[in-house]
Amino acid sequence: MTALVTLEHVRFTYSGASRPALDGVSLTIAPGEVLAVAGATGAGASTLLLVATGYAPRVVGGTLTGVRAITARRCGVVFSRPWTQLTGLCSTVREEVAFGAASYGLPPGEVADAAARAMAALGIARLADRDPARLSGGELQRVVVAATLAMGPDMLALDDPAAELDPEAADALYAVLPDIAGAGTGVLLATPDLDRAARVATRVVRLEHGRVVADGTPPRGLEETTVAVIARAAGCPAPYPTDVAALRARVAR
Amino acid sequence: MIGYVEGRSPLHRAHPYTTLALAGAILFGAFALTRPAEVWLLVLAGAALAATGGLLRASVRTALVLSLPVWTLLFVVHGLLGGAPLVAVGPVSLSAPGVARALVLGGRVTAIVLGFLTALATIEPHRLVEAMTARGVPFGRIFLLTSTLTVLPRMRERAGHILEAQQCRGLRLGGSPVARLRALGPLAFPLILGALAEVDEQVLALDARGAGTGARRTALNPPADSTAQRALRWLLLALIVAAYAWKFWRMRG
Repeated sequence: MTALVTLEHVRFTYSGASRPALDGVSLTIAPGEVLAVAGATGAGASTLLLVATGYAPRVVGGTLTGVRAITARRCGVVFSRPWTQLTGLCSTVREEVAFGAASYGLPPGEVADAAARAMAALGIARLADRDPARLSGGELQRVVVAATLAMGPDMLALDDPAAELDPEAADALYAVLPDIAGAGTGVLLATPDLDRAARVATRVVRLEHGRVVADGTPPRGLEETTVAVIARAAGCPAPYPTDVAALRARVAR
Repeated sequence: MIGYVEGRSPLHRAHPYTTLALAGAILFGAFALTRPAEVWLLVLAGAALAATGGLLRASVRTALVLSLPVWTLLFVVHGLLGGAPLVAVGPVSLSAPGVARALVLGGRVTAIVLGFLTALATIEPHRLVEAMTARGVPFGRIFLLTSTLTVLPRMRERAGHILEAQQCRGLRLGGSPVARLRALGPLAFPLILGALAEVDEQVLALDARGAGTGARRTALNPPADSTAQRALRWLLLALIVAAYAWKFWRMRG
């Protein structure tokens, strides 16, 4: 299967920064996978997302060296603060969701269908006629994800999408990611929330100071989830279970 | 009252280009007319436009507040400091041509402000976007125009939030002019810095939604236009051309 994005020995430095935000990063993102990029604040996860989607250095500036091949036809990006991602030009959720598809000049019928499908996938069809500026953070972030999906991206990149959400809204948002990947879209998720990432990721990359320190299927790279930390402290042998379901399975064995 | 006000007046229902054409006609007409009586007829036309939009009182009040500093300056510069012949009004000597000049310039400002306040209050930004999209205007220009039209209401809303937050932290707004000036800092800095940070994210978000693709966007729900409205716009254009022709003919005479 052709990778949507391939990075080889990529080094990226922001303008004016003394050290690189990414240093020697190599990885691929394949269709249908949920790749979680985890790391502490400043580890480079958000920068990796910007580099993988082509926004760095094209939009944010900086210097990129190494090999970057983006074969994804369309990359959708969702940032952490939902209210900064509204176009400010739409008076209803339906129009907001349709905005991206309309940008590509698709016929009106196709745009409306794509918007309806995306709203149904995110469970927000009931909000279609609401003013997006009057929604809660959780509702709004789902509107933003739906708006991105309506464009039919082959890769969906999310930068800490639950940062501003309450736990229920965050759970609901993470729960739809496997379905999106199941439809063939590559999902790249930059997050410090290892507990939720453990539930949805098919692969995890851990970054420290801009370098990849772990890359593999869970539980590799997820040794710091709450469940893994408890299991390790309790003397459970490695590999540690990363979520409650894995812990239950281990105990049952 | 600066910004869109919901309503069902003929101006609210009109094609956005028609309302813009009416406000534009007042703008260009103000510079074509040179006598106080003519300019004040235009001010009346501005007031009539506001009345058609159901906003006479609010528009006139805001226009007067906004143009009051200009009126004061014009009165001092042209009325008090202007050349002879002088007219005594109590202890003050006024320049008759200076007062006439101040009436023309002040009338122009008031008429233009009235026209554009009414246009801002009756053109829903989303309808303007759809109207321009339907005409194939590039998205960059649409965004530039609508952002400009909506920047004041958005900044006012944001300033309200910041003010509430700062008051919760003990900011006191009353007191002497010096104390009031000192209170501006905690309001202005977060307002400007926050707006700049959000602009960065919004640029990325709009780009991610295909706003920069260069493709002709699909208009999903363009506002209805009519032969009568198109005829009115052409008539306004013809009137403006005639007004300038008359102005130059008089100047030659």
